[in-house]
Amino acid sequence: MVERLLLVEDDPRLAEMLSEYLGQAGFHITVAALGAAALERLSGAQFDAIVLDLMLPDMDGLDLCREVRAKSDTPVLMLTGRGDAVDRIVGLELGADDYLPKPFQPRELLARLRAILRRRVRGQITAERSLHFGRLEIDTAARAVRLDGVQCDLTGYQFDLLLALAEKAGRVLSRDLLMDLVKGEHLEAFDRSIDVHMSRIRAAIEDDPKKPRRVITVRGAGYVFAKAQD
Amino acid sequence: MLRLYLRFYLALVASLVLFVLATVTLWHFTGGPMEQTGITLGRLVQNVLPPADSPAAEQQEALRRLATGLHGDVTLFDPEGMPIAAIGRSLHTPPDVHHEGMPFTLWSREHASYVHLADGRWLAASVPIGYSHPRFMFHAALALLALAIGIAAYPIVRQITGRLERLQRGVESLGAGHLTARVAVEGRDEVARLAESFNRAAGQIEQLVQGHKALLANASHELRTPLARIRLAVELMKASADPKLKSGLEQDIAELDWLVDEILLASRLDAVTDALATEELDVLALAAEECARYDGAQLEGKVVNIRGDARLLRRLLRNLLENARRHGAPPTQVRVAQDAGNATITVWDNGPGVPQTEFENIFRPFYRPSDARDRTGTGLGLALVRQIAHRHGGDARCTLMADGRSCFVVTLPA
Repeated sequence: MVERLLLVEDDPRLAEMLSEYLGQAGFHITVAALGAAALERLSGAQFDAIVLDLMLPDMDGLDLCREVRAKSDTPVLMLTGRGDAVDRIVGLELGADDYLPKPFQPRELLARLRAILRRRVRGQITAERSLHFGRLEIDTAARAVRLDGVQCDLTGYQFDLLLALAEKAGRVLSRDLLMDLVKGEHLEAFDRSIDVHMSRIRAAIEDDPKKPRRVITVRGAGYVFAKAQD
Repeated sequence: MLRLYLRFYLALVASLVLFVLATVTLWHFTGGPMEQTGITLGRLVQNVLPPADSPAAEQQEALRRLATGLHGDVTLFDPEGMPIAAIGRSLHTPPDVHHEGMPFTLWSREHASYVHLADGRWLAASVPIGYSHPRFMFHAALALLALAIGIAAYPIVRQITGRLERLQRGVESLGAGHLTARVAVEGRDEVARLAESFNRAAGQIEQLVQGHKALLANASHELRTPLARIRLAVELMKASADPKLKSGLEQDIAELDWLVDEILLASRLDAVTDALATEELDVLALAAEECARYDGAQLEGKVVNIRGDARLLRRLLRNLLENARRHGAPPTQVRVAQDAGNATITVWDNGPGVPQTEFENIFRPFYRPSDARDRTGTGLGLALVRQIAHRHGGDARCTLMADGRSCFVVTLPA
């Protein structure tokens, strides 16, 4: 099934390039340059997701997002060139499913789009149980980890370890605390040290396992899962 | 600081006290005008009456003349307190028959006034003759009046200065960055006009800042959309494209993005006094994340939790690391420590360091040391470091370490 996307972007060249890029990835793209045109398109056809620029010449992207939300539950991914965090939060509060700051990594846009579409298929309940960090998605319902939408190879214990870290992203967790957090019926915890599991996790989810950017070692303190992974 | 209402009130009370004291002194030096009136009246009465040893009938006749037209009872007593003559109802015996003291003192007892004549006789009347205890009564009345004014003035003074205080709170609130702060306009006097002017000024400031914010947001959007285009273009280049060229382009994009961020952030921190979006942060974890972005950055320290804006503090750390990468030599060392409730971040590297004469200069925006090896960078990095530290109530400076090398120290209050 070809998924249909509505791209609301006022910059014609960016819209054209995005259409090409997302088209190559197998999406069917409809472009609207103005908020009014977007609303018109939305009333005429069914879309699987909307990619929405926050700043449009004729209306505020947030207002458009609110109107879309009032009519349907089509997932919305917001693109924003504005740097302030407040707008991002407001965007999500108004019902945007995700946001990306410009200039975004095209691969990240693709990963996030696929993620919100997957969530839509599975329903809203599981949506809240999925953690997103840049291009990385930790799906707690399916107990799967995806990088750019591609599943990573992790054992159950390693998944629990990663989840424990990710749920406390931005906090340094000592090895003892980590052991406590994931202790359970996993036997493999006893025969290998936590550091070995960490290097396995890194091999699976890091772009360059030698220069980890997601699971970081803090000498003498423990591990920290990076909160910002742009 | 003595509060304004208290000063007003104290001035009022002081002037009341001064007024009472002046009146009492004046009363004293004029010999008590009301007592004098009483004495004169007593003397007149005695002069009109026949002497004490004249027959009772004569005294009765004299008393009758004295009481003509007086709508009340009058009785004359001998020095022993026995009535000699009476007009109308006979009045009570004087309360203190053998009173010794000033003659012609007036007494008031049981609805009657008594005058002690110089020869010991007493004249009593059921209507007031003069003032009894005039000095005490006058002083008491004065004191009561002063007290009444003092009490009544308090709420009035409080009300007037209360408006000033509310106005002051409004100004302070605006200064603290609450641009929507307005004050209520009460009354129609100068204070009310001041409140109106304040509201007008606050409105203009809010508009100005909103305009500035909108401008920044638009500039950010306009600058980043083409960057997004370039990034997409790089991605769309087919595999045939030179990977070195591709990564070079990626780096250029990142640098431009950085530059846009830096300039916009500097102008935002300068102009907009928004409240910080603070949250509970682990400085060590934040430093670990930022150090992971740089090869050869070594981190040590222990967990220190503070309240702060994660985005700004990331920028602070990144700018320090970037500064070391550009102008220093690896490895860059970062230490996170706790010191008297503050979080301190110390950053140093293996490079030549900063000469002592430049310790302050390098924090100036767009400052470039004359001998800088590397002229890249925005010239805003360290200025932003200090601005961000200040916004968190801390400071950033360059100092010497024990081994004589220079280092950057950022202190952030918990």
